[in-house]
Amino acid sequence: MTLVHFSFCSAFTLGLTGLALHRAHLLSALLCLEGVMLSMYVGLSSWPTQISLFSFSLVPMLMLTFSACEAGTGLALMVATTRTHGTDNLHNLNLLQC
Amino acid sequence: MNPIALSMILSSLALGTILTVSSNHWFLAWMGLEINTLAIIPLMAQNHHPRAVEASTKYFLTQAAASALLLFSALNNAWFTGEWSIMNLTNSISCTTMTIAICMKLGLAPFHFWLPEVLQGLNLTTGLILSTWQKLAPMAILYQISPSMNTSLLLLIGLTSTLIGGWGGLNQTQLRKILAFSSIAHLGWMASILPIMPQLMILNLIIYLIMTSTLFLTLKTISSTKISTLATSWPKTPTTTALTLLTLLSLGGLPPLSGFMPKWLILQELTNQNTPILATMLALSALLSLFFYLRLSYSITLTSSPNTSNSPLTWRHNSKQPTTLLSLMLISSFFLLPISPLMMS
Repeated sequence: MTLVHFSFCSAFTLGLTGLALHRAHLLSALLCLEGVMLSMYVGLSSWPTQISLFSFSLVPMLMLTFSACEAGTGLALMVATTRTHGTDNLHNLNLLQC
Repeated sequence: MNPIALSMILSSLALGTILTVSSNHWFLAWMGLEINTLAIIPLMAQNHHPRAVEASTKYFLTQAAASALLLFSALNNAWFTGEWSIMNLTNSISCTTMTIAICMKLGLAPFHFWLPEVLQGLNLTTGLILSTWQKLAPMAILYQISPSMNTSLLLLIGLTSTLIGGWGGLNQTQLRKILAFSSIAHLGWMASILPIMPQLMILNLIIYLIMTSTLFLTLKTISSTKISTLATSWPKTPTTTALTLLTLLSLGGLPPLSGFMPKWLILQELTNQNTPILATMLALSALLSLFFYLRLSYSITLTSSPNTSNSPLTWRHNSKQPTTLLSLMLISSFFLLPISPLMMS
């Protein structure tokens, strides 16, 4: 396991742990999701340089595009949640619980 | 909704699933899943009431986390083996995280908590799309990576799903939550047969799709979302109401109906593979599901016309909804059992 591999794996794990445990506000959950996607960007863009496969270099850009779309959707949902629930506190999303 | 936007969204939904099903590269499969997730969110949030927005937020968070985990497993596999093809998922850690990611996408047992809540917040059409069309892409990935997966993990997930699907549905009065738990139980059956005989998983998926769409379309025709409104549904469409009894029994898996076929073949295959304890527990957990299906069929059919009903009667309108698809699905959810020898050959 190289240093780059270890660093993006640990960044991903930290991001996912943050998403699972530290999500009092929707904004912090979205930020954790962004951190996860950026760690994947690092991993995807350093993999082709590791094995000198430069035809793969477009893929990190595609992933960044999709993660930007995802972040936009997340922010739109945050606006919608704030308009309907009054706050972006995730503990307030309890209308549908069993 | 604006028809242009609606056509855009529906074609993106179709595009996402087709991209995932037909791709050979992990990145393209991930792109398809992302397109799917992003395309259904406007459909979910189109009514601006708080429940819909809450459901779409929960759906977005779980699906985004699951697809990030999926891409991460594929990337890890590429770092270890240098291989991006879906068939060649050989690293064992990547395989386990991939299984977890797909289970989270589908709503299998330890990761199922989002499914009843999300389904409860949607209208019946979007719920139909969520519980049928959205299952296809993760199931296709699961089918493709099934040879390299951890058998005991999948069996454990399958058994937990059937048990939780049975127990969870017992205490519900909301039909969409009951349908969500029934979906969890059926997916548990699919997950437990997957490492042994993947073709049976496809068969079970097809039958499940047919039966679930029948039930959703019936509920849409009689426009009821609670058990209490089921009891007064007989004046609206008497024939459909009577046939819903058979649909529910088919979902429960009783013999002359087509829902029996996958359960029968799965139990036979599990017994052939010398796992009688697993087969027994699966069969017993089907009884739990059967209990709430029977409760639904009691309130929808056995309280009809000659009996007294405790619910207030509703106004009778002529239904203007198209029923062609409903009748097709009804017929195929009853009468597919006799062609099971054809499917086995």
